[in-house]
Amino acid sequence: MPETQNVYEIPIGPIHPALKEPVRFTFQVEGERIRAVDVRAGFAHRGIEFMGMRRNLIQTLYLSERICGICSISHPIAITLAVERAAGIEVPPRAQYLRVIFSELERIHSHLLWAGVAAHELGFDTLLHLTWKVREQVLDILEELSGNRIDYAIPIYGGVRRDISPEQIPKVEAMIRYYRGLLEELVDAFLRDPSVAARTRDVGVLTPEEADLLCAVGPTARASGLSKDVRQDRPYLVYGELGVKAITPRDWGLEPRGDVYDKAVVRLLEVGQSLDLIETCLYEMPEGEITSFPKIPALLAHLKKAEGEGLGWHEAPRGEVIHYIRLEAGVEEPVAWKVKAPTYSNLMSWVPMFADQEIADIPIIAASIDPCICCMDRVHMVRDGSPATLLKEDLLRLSREKTERLTGHPSPVTRHGGGL
Amino acid sequence: MTADQVKKALVSAVPGLQAELRPRPVGVRTRVEVPELWVDVSREGLVPVVAALKAAGPLHISIISGRDKGEEIELLYHFAVGYGTPGGEVMVTLRVGVPASDPTVPSICGILPGAETTEREKIEFLGIHFTGIPSTAHVFLPDGFTGHPWRKDDPETARHVKRMVEWEGKDA
Repeated sequence: MPETQNVYEIPIGPIHPALKEPVRFTFQVEGERIRAVDVRAGFAHRGIEFMGMRRNLIQTLYLSERICGICSISHPIAITLAVERAAGIEVPPRAQYLRVIFSELERIHSHLLWAGVAAHELGFDTLLHLTWKVREQVLDILEELSGNRIDYAIPIYGGVRRDISPEQIPKVEAMIRYYRGLLEELVDAFLRDPSVAARTRDVGVLTPEEADLLCAVGPTARASGLSKDVRQDRPYLVYGELGVKAITPRDWGLEPRGDVYDKAVVRLLEVGQSLDLIETCLYEMPEGEITSFPKIPALLAHLKKAEGEGLGWHEAPRGEVIHYIRLEAGVEEPVAWKVKAPTYSNLMSWVPMFADQEIADIPIIAASIDPCICCMDRVHMVRDGSPATLLKEDLLRLSREKTERLTGHPSPVTRHGGGL
Repeated sequence: MTADQVKKALVSAVPGLQAELRPRPVGVRTRVEVPELWVDVSREGLVPVVAALKAAGPLHISIISGRDKGEEIELLYHFAVGYGTPGGEVMVTLRVGVPASDPTVPSICGILPGAETTEREKIEFLGIHFTGIPSTAHVFLPDGFTGHPWRKDDPETARHVKRMVEWEGKDA
């Protein structure tokens, strides 16, 4: 970067209205043009791996679920695959299908969340409200199936914790029909809208060469035309049999340019792909056990004796997540645990994406890689026009009441215990 | 990309290198084996091996993981070789042991710029010195934090944890 007196430094973040998560960008700008950027992460660093290495594996699994509110299936899937590999645990076929169904439901809600954020960053709040309104359907299904909108506690070492009952299947099918009917409308609102195209075409470009060298993952890499998808390239669970194909803008009939528009194309088309995968799994899923260790004490005893190391990977909504774990016999906690979330790999992609862009495009470029954002739902309510701040106890009660309404049976959790 | 092709590339870089194949059975109706290679590499051999992997096919670094084994620090470089080949990626893990007294490793950023974040993380968490890395600035820990949390008995981390325990009234 040439050192001229016209270059000014603009810090954005860690707390800034343009950002949905704490990260600090230091931009060097000349007029309206960004000449260079420095990215600093770590403001939400909680030392989760450090904590995990001081807890038993069941506690570490729950911790892994809380790495990110949106990827609360992806991290547990990666850690369970890693531990199952290290400890030699088999997963029953039905559980493998169930894990795929839950991860695809998560992808739908995550991509719709992103689409809403992207619309908001473009100043198109009508589209934000539409997208987030329709996103409620998949969250309701996740709540129906798991009991929670986020943090589903579904994967466990050796299988899953909850089955999908025959009575629930029609509800999932209804959700699939709902989104199929709606997808064309959403695609129309995003991809055929001239103002969206004007704000996103050739903005925040990542070339395929840059994506390859910087090891970008997920929709960020696919929007640049790289046909990379862990589900396709490195099979795990039953993804190899489901015939997943990486989606690039070519599937929409466009030559990839790697801009923000292409990232929207990839994510919206992936919603349709996830619907197909869920449908296939519902029909192909065999009957049978859902875990090879129904009793937790037996599982913990097996894990305590286990010795070995393993890798677990998964294509999260944002790209490749990978966990490495090392177990030693006689030790309850993992002696090594490394977590790699997709944003970690995509962090460096921001540097070329911001180069020579305008200051006004900072929010949408920052959002285009879909950095992980925690769910902020159910904090402040406005009812009958009068705002009310709710306490944690009220939120928990309302949440349980809604789950009971959805599932039609009382919550198994005691109303008085837990010190909540 | 097959495991044999990757093995050939590894041996061409460092003759005599032993790669352990750990096939991973996957699938329910049609079982396939996803190849995983685990290779012990000396730090001198690291750069030639990574260069050979890069020449063998599109190379992706997933992460560098590591742990403190006392006298030695073990670094594990997890790569996907043939990245973006449907059903044809080979996971290659390079295991590099360095003495805790001299934890110096050559940086691979010259071959794969995408490795910078994870190398910088290892500087923070394990106190590794990467020669030739473009930047050594902290990524995740505060700038003033001088400890290395994944090192055993790291005094700075112990102080930090003690302070948190006293502050929050519960264990880390």
